[in-house]
Amino acid sequence: MSAPRATLDLRPFACPLTYVKARIALDRLAPGEVLELWLSAGEPAESLPRSAEEDGHRVVGVEPLAGGERAFRVLVEKGTPRSAEELP
Amino acid sequence: MTALADDRLARFARQLLVPGFGELAQLRLQEARVRAVGAGGAASAALVYLVQAGVGRLWLDDAEPVAPADATGWLFHPDTVGMPRAEVARMALSSLSRFTDVARYPTGGVPTAALVAAPSVVQALSAAEVARRAGIPHVVLEPDAEGGSVVTVPPRAPCYSCARSTGGAERPPVAASAALAALAAAELVQLIASPGAIPGRRIEIVRGVATAQPTSRLAGCACGVDPRSGPAQSAGQKP
Repeated sequence: MSAPRATLDLRPFACPLTYVKARIALDRLAPGEVLELWLSAGEPAESLPRSAEEDGHRVVGVEPLAGGERAFRVLVEKGTPRSAEELP
Repeated sequence: MTALADDRLARFARQLLVPGFGELAQLRLQEARVRAVGAGGAASAALVYLVQAGVGRLWLDDAEPVAPADATGWLFHPDTVGMPRAEVARMALSSLSRFTDVARYPTGGVPTAALVAAPSVVQALSAAEVARRAGIPHVVLEPDAEGGSVVTVPPRAPCYSCARSTGGAERPPVAASAALAALAAAELVQLIASPGAIPGRRIEIVRGVATAQPTSRLAGCACGVDPRSGPAQSAGQKP
């Protein structure tokens, strides 16, 4: 796994803004590059990795954020996002 | 183009998550200047859609007063019958979002896209031809008694004159009109946000069922020659 290309602290935000910001950051990466996300425990840390996978990205790491209280460090490797035509 | 501000991200969050959409698409909408030809009841749902989607400027081109039939649309209260339609619509639409500048069509205004919901075929043809000559994407609504059609015209695609319905048109029930108008707005949003993503096409709604087919160029039509850069891209032709 390559080193994160960018880091985004999304702890201050709630759904859907968490994933909107993550997706915009992912849009700016090349396939295979990794985005590091800091997420609050609970709904953000549970749903964002799932949304990223559904969009064609790969979650390559989830671990407690060092020094962070009830927060997680999530690593997402950019895949090839699905187009509207590929939706189920 | 600059990145979207946080308040816009929050406002358009759900739309930004639509597959194939994204920051650049939203920025294109923000930069767009849409001329709406006809702002009556048949266009109401489309105008609301365009504002809620985040179009930067919406110019209302309609010189008629609010008619009793308009009051069944989404923008016009029965008390507004007789008042200038564009002004009443402007006030109603302006209250929906601070991210869209809604105004009456300014003399000499240069739109980047057009929505045509004109009250007559002649006016629709004229407005669509102006848009074609300007090289801007446009969508034309054709309401009829069973639902109606939406004709989507990206730059250099077969023009509305080639693609329009030759059947009779009657005013539809309001519910069908709103569905048709929303579909027209969705098509225009795609044309603006994702240039080249959809071809020239005609979508018909018949009793709630939508079918789409590509438009084709009438032999010899002037739309086969781009007014600015020569022959248009190849397109199906019909005699």
